[in-house]
Amino acid sequence: MAGTRDILQGTLDLLILKALSLGPMYGWGIAQRLHRLSGEELTVNQGSLYPSLHRLEQRGWIEAEWGTSESQRRVKVYALTGRGAKALETEEGGWRQFIRAVERLLSAEPVEGAS
Amino acid sequence: MSRRPWLSLKLRTLFDRRRLGRELADELAAHVEMETEAGVARGLSPREARRRALASFGGVERIREETRDQWSFRWLDDLVLDLRHAARSFAHSPLFTLVAVATLALGIGAATSIFSVLDAVLWTPPPFSEPERLAMVWETDRATGTVREPASVPDFLDLEARSRRFDELAAFQGRQVTLTAPEGQPRRLAALAVTQDFLGMAGVAPRLGRGFEPADDRPGAAPVAWLGEHLWRTGYGGEAGIVGRRVEFDGVPHTVAGVIPAEADFGFRQILGRAAYQRSFGEGGSERVAVWLPLAPDPEASPRQTHPIFVLGRLAPGANARQAQEEVDSIMAELEREYPENLHRGAFVEPLADVVLEPVRPALWLLLGVVALVLLIAWVNVASLLLARSAARSQEVAVRTALGAGTRRLARQFLVEGLLLASLAGVLGIGVAALALPPLLTLVPQELAPRLGEVGLDGGVLLASLAVVASVGLAFGAVPWLEARRGGPFGALSGGSARGATAGPAAARLRGALVVAELALAVTLVVGAGLLVRSFLHVTAVDLGFDTAQVLKAEVQLPASRYPRDFATWPDWPEIQGFHEAVLTRVRALPGVERAALAGAHPLAAGFTNSFVIEGREGEAAGQPEIAIRQVSPGYFRTVGVAVAAGRPFTEADTKDSVPVAAINLAAARRFFPEDEPLGQRIGIWGVFREIVAVVGDERFHGPEAETAPAVYLPQRQAPAWNLSLLARTDEDPAQLAASVRAAVHEVDPALAVFGLETLDSAFARTVAKPRLLATLVGLFAAVALLLALVGIHGVLAYTVAQRRREMGIRMALGAARGDVVGLVFRDGLRFTLLGLALGLLCALALSRSVDSLLFEVRPTDPTTLAVVAGSVLTTALLASLLPALQATRVDPARTLQGE
Repeated sequence: MAGTRDILQGTLDLLILKALSLGPMYGWGIAQRLHRLSGEELTVNQGSLYPSLHRLEQRGWIEAEWGTSESQRRVKVYALTGRGAKALETEEGGWRQFIRAVERLLSAEPVEGAS
Repeated sequence: MSRRPWLSLKLRTLFDRRRLGRELADELAAHVEMETEAGVARGLSPREARRRALASFGGVERIREETRDQWSFRWLDDLVLDLRHAARSFAHSPLFTLVAVATLALGIGAATSIFSVLDAVLWTPPPFSEPERLAMVWETDRATGTVREPASVPDFLDLEARSRRFDELAAFQGRQVTLTAPEGQPRRLAALAVTQDFLGMAGVAPRLGRGFEPADDRPGAAPVAWLGEHLWRTGYGGEAGIVGRRVEFDGVPHTVAGVIPAEADFGFRQILGRAAYQRSFGEGGSERVAVWLPLAPDPEASPRQTHPIFVLGRLAPGANARQAQEEVDSIMAELEREYPENLHRGAFVEPLADVVLEPVRPALWLLLGVVALVLLIAWVNVASLLLARSAARSQEVAVRTALGAGTRRLARQFLVEGLLLASLAGVLGIGVAALALPPLLTLVPQELAPRLGEVGLDGGVLLASLAVVASVGLAFGAVPWLEARRGGPFGALSGGSARGATAGPAAARLRGALVVAELALAVTLVVGAGLLVRSFLHVTAVDLGFDTAQVLKAEVQLPASRYPRDFATWPDWPEIQGFHEAVLTRVRALPGVERAALAGAHPLAAGFTNSFVIEGREGEAAGQPEIAIRQVSPGYFRTVGVAVAAGRPFTEADTKDSVPVAAINLAAARRFFPEDEPLGQRIGIWGVFREIVAVVGDERFHGPEAETAPAVYLPQRQAPAWNLSLLARTDEDPAQLAASVRAAVHEVDPALAVFGLETLDSAFARTVAKPRLLATLVGLFAAVALLLALVGIHGVLAYTVAQRRREMGIRMALGAARGDVVGLVFRDGLRFTLLGLALGLLCALALSRSVDSLLFEVRPTDPTTLAVVAGSVLTTALLASLLPALQATRVDPARTLQGE
């Protein structure tokens, strides 16, 4: 699949939170959602979802219950909690700030006579 | 299915990992299957789809492990990490760990064992219902000034009738009975005779059978008895069938009416021990009340001038001890007016708790104080050690801080270290206490602890110890962290430790202060120990007036059934006199026996008193106190080593048919014949006037600490006693004689129980058990405390030497002699020592007043003790300073300077 990139584990948490903010979903479905929502640009290393999901669950930012998928399979469905929603806001803000800073850095042009 | 809340998740993480693991496996499997399905839907073969699904998933096992790693309590993991780190660092400095843990363990162990004793003795209430409403009603004698005298039966009956403030009054009496078992030797048992109200008043119900009834308590009633629980279990197998059986006490068959629970025996030994005229209650037999008998108070048999019973009362609701005292005072005043026998008799109401605990409280508070001091010293010592260690670790701390460890994390690390140390010490200390408690308790004399059998390490005590441990751990954790904070990461990183890191001088001052404090505390303890030791030595040095070495005693009580005592024919009692003769003949014939004699009370027994009159001075009789009566056989004085100051001792010629004679002791002579010569005068006892033929030396039968009491001696043939002490003097080891003496007595009367078989030495040792125990315990603690303080001084000075190595190297390079360098260190040591000593002596002077009651012939400010303590502490402390001082001289200036 051309044009895809792996992304850092650290930001995976943020992305999962965002994905779940759109509605509860199980693990495989989250991977699909991320792929779709990013305009097919990002492919998550599928296995690495799970450590993140469980870590977020342990922190109380998401919670899970067992349910059934459309294909009648037993799946563990995750959903965002109130605390998770707040954390998402904070993380999102920090991430955007970071992006702006990197953007500024990358668009710095060499100036004549300056060091 | 409902949402699973976060809390239940955490719980399951802790307790149900297996299920979580299964769920995870299902979850991962489901994912791979769905990815496979999607592949198939895109047109791949199932096998190819699955292969690609697994590939894009990543290693399933690895993912599973990573996910499981997320199941944690962060703080738990951190704690485990901290613990491992702490354990490792302790393992790297084993000496420090050993010293710190041992010091703390010692303090905690001591505290725990003393807490246990105090818990059982001071803080646990007695098993009676509303024990605070119980009070002893002693009688008092204004003429002699005694305040805890037994009462007379008619007085008791009158008090019962006339008192409003007391709801109930009951009487009791300590006795000894012989149990003639079907097999084996006759046994001597402690018995308590009580009136029928007694058990009900105390709120004690019989374990088996029935309680006391009025019918039992009448003179001439059929003999009944109740067994104490301990006797019932050990002697009769705890069978329910005991009720109704006949058991023979003193030759008289008694019907067993029931069993009294063990808890009912509260402190009677102590109560009777506080009475002015102690009977030997349970001395030869067990300490517990083995038999309960009806007292059957009979005013005919026990008229108003004899005082054989003790009175216990329960205050009426709303009445307090003061009001009761006032009422009893007025009743006794009435009785004094009505009956001439009650001249000078008053009464003293004393709450039961005070009676039992008052003699014990000062000693117990002393022990508590001592333990607190030792704990404090241990605490200070370890704090000092940790400080030194933290200073040495300031580099480590600096590096860790530079690498990003937050101060909170560091604090947690030190806290965990402190708690680990304290926990180790706590476990060790409690273990030590558990081991040390039983042998410690054997040292404690019975009077010091009313319910010694109940002492054990109980939950409350353990909790208190754990609290101590926790506080120690927390404090210790805080100390190095504060120290490290003050240093700051860059200060320690930049220079070597020798360049006086910013933490240096402050730490050194703090350690110095700690050492001075330690020494002061230790000095206080040592002074206390010194005072107690001197006191004990004084007690044992008192001249008792008789010999305790080489004299064996044995006691018997002749039962009325075989040895009738008809007061109509007194003193002509053939059976009793016959026994005296037979026993003395046999015992004197034993190999190794130099002399033997009989006495109504042995030299360490208080015996009884009676009123008397001096011929020609009958008018004074009313105002005189009672005098101690000692009934002795001829040869008694030489047997026990009492000096005859004037006149002649009793001989075989003093019989019931010859002139009645008596001897008085020096105390009596001083008191009643201050001006004139007692020899030849006549003294009237029990209606018979006797000529005083001798004045003998004082026997201290109330023990070495009490004053000598006036006594009059009567020859046995003229005043026979049926409660006897046999005394045998031997040039060999008296203990060897015991068996043959017992056999000799049994030759004369096989059914007689022989008890109290011991040397006078061991009887005396029991008398001084309390001062010995205190001196030993406090001495032990003081020695430990001093050792700790000296170790502390040594440690501080050694540390200073290490710190100032560079400075000393420079000094020596610049021409200072080695002696100067030594002098530097020494001066430091001297400064600590003098400060600590001064502070300690001041403390000791302030506190020693509170132990005044425990001292015998030693003032709390005894200058000799203070001087000796000061001298020895000074010497040992200076010696402790010597080592590091000498070490300072080994500093090689060249090498030190190079090391920069």
